Amino acid sequence: MLVPGVLALLPEYAGLVDPVAELRAACSTAVGWLCWAPEVTVIADEQGARVAAHLLEQARSLRVTCPSEADLRLMAGEGAAHLVVANGTARRSEKAPGYLDERAAGFDAALGTALRTPDPAALGGLDEELAADLLVGNPAGLRELAGLLTVEHRLVFDHDDDPFGVQYWVMGWQCES
Amino acid sequence: MTLKLGRHEFADDATLMMAIVNRTPDSFYDKGATWAEESAFARVAQVVAEGAEIVDIGGIKAAPGVEIGPAEEMSRVVDFVARVRSSFPALVISVDTWRAPVGQAACEAGADVLNDAWGGADPELVDVAASYGAAIVCTHTGGVAPRTRPYRIEYDDVVASAVADTVAYAERAVAAGVPRSSVVIDPAHDFGKNTFHSLELTRRLGELVDTGWPVLVSLSNKDFVGETLDLPVGSRLTGTLAATAVCALAGARIYRVHEVVETRQVVDMVWTIAGRRPPSRAIRGLQ
Repeated sequence: MLVPGVLALLPEYAGLVDPVAELRAACSTAVGWLCWAPEVTVIADEQGARVAAHLLEQARSLRVTCPSEADLRLMAGEGAAHLVVANGTARRSEKAPGYLDERAAGFDAALGTALRTPDPAALGGLDEELAADLLVGNPAGLRELAGLLTVEHRLVFDHDDDPFGVQYWVMGWQCES
Repeated sequence: MTLKLGRHEFADDATLMMAIVNRTPDSFYDKGATWAEESAFARVAQVVAEGAEIVDIGGIKAAPGVEIGPAEEMSRVVDFVARVRSSFPALVISVDTWRAPVGQAACEAGADVLNDAWGGADPELVDVAASYGAAIVCTHTGGVAPRTRPYRIEYDDVVASAVADTVAYAERAVAAGVPRSSVVIDPAHDFGKNTFHSLELTRRLGELVDTGWPVLVSLSNKDFVGETLDLPVGSRLTGTLAATAVCALAGARIYRVHEVVETRQVVDMVWTIAGRRPPSRAIRGLQ
């Protein structure tokens, strides 16, 4: 499972109105599946780990989704579930945190395709320097995700949005073999 | 403790805007702008649209002037309360009166709060509040008679006097049967006070908040603001809002105001700075 490391998801940054309600709903659905796994390995940087911990805690306190065999095998790797916290660029518009960089849209499009296909080789070959320039969230996590995904995986959940000029994906994969 | 204002309840961290609606021909700020019933009703509709939780309907201006008897006061207030009650069922209706018979008629017509600006001048007002389940605002006037201006009044400690008198009044209300959750205290800026007194009350408002009773402040466009800034009525909004901010930081809960929108923004801003309210919508730097 992939979610973005959006700090606005954390309760300490809650306002009266949720600025990321759609994203939160998508994360809640996706992570809702994960919480039935016997073990969830989190792949995240320091801030992302806080986001992951909160989403998992929320999901475990709700446990609204019904588990299926398939759900429990959501991620590759001996039945272990993985929650990767990473996102695309943060330079997709003039209002974006990193201001507009014309390269951002193309970079995210290629990354999105590599995630959806999935194409582990393309994902693993992510241009680190460009990713840093474009303020990609946790590119190391995306490379680790490349190591977990195989061509046998099929995308089963896909939320794609960039409401603040930051590319968010909430994605889940299932191994077909 | 939940704040209970007649039919309405509010959480113990809620701040409330009490909009002034004068059914008078001669109040100092609006100078009779809402003397006509239709004008007053339009004012109620406007402040409701602006987000006021409470209207404070008054039939007699605070300053000295033509004597207005209970019958005339009732004719200005009571039917109007009934009309507002039926048109705005979710609105808290407060009536600004010190007279028990007027308070009783207003409660019969649907008032939720009796705002006694004159510090319990009529001792039976608390009994009216108790028998109708209305809330009461207990003010400090230093013992002056209703509708008099302060003249050479001095206090050893004006804040200590305000605390002692409002708390005593509050306890008297409770003893008369008003629930604790329906009692509010108000140091009453400018009532029985010179500008230095009102400034000190503002500076030390936290001492009133510390009593545990919810505190109402009535600062709007008053003379202490005008004298502090040397500005006439009509030019006191900025000063009023500065005083409002200080009282909000100290924890005042109810704000009796002419300008609802501006005061609501100041109170929300200060309440949020104080960590008692989250921002409305925060995304900057958190995307």
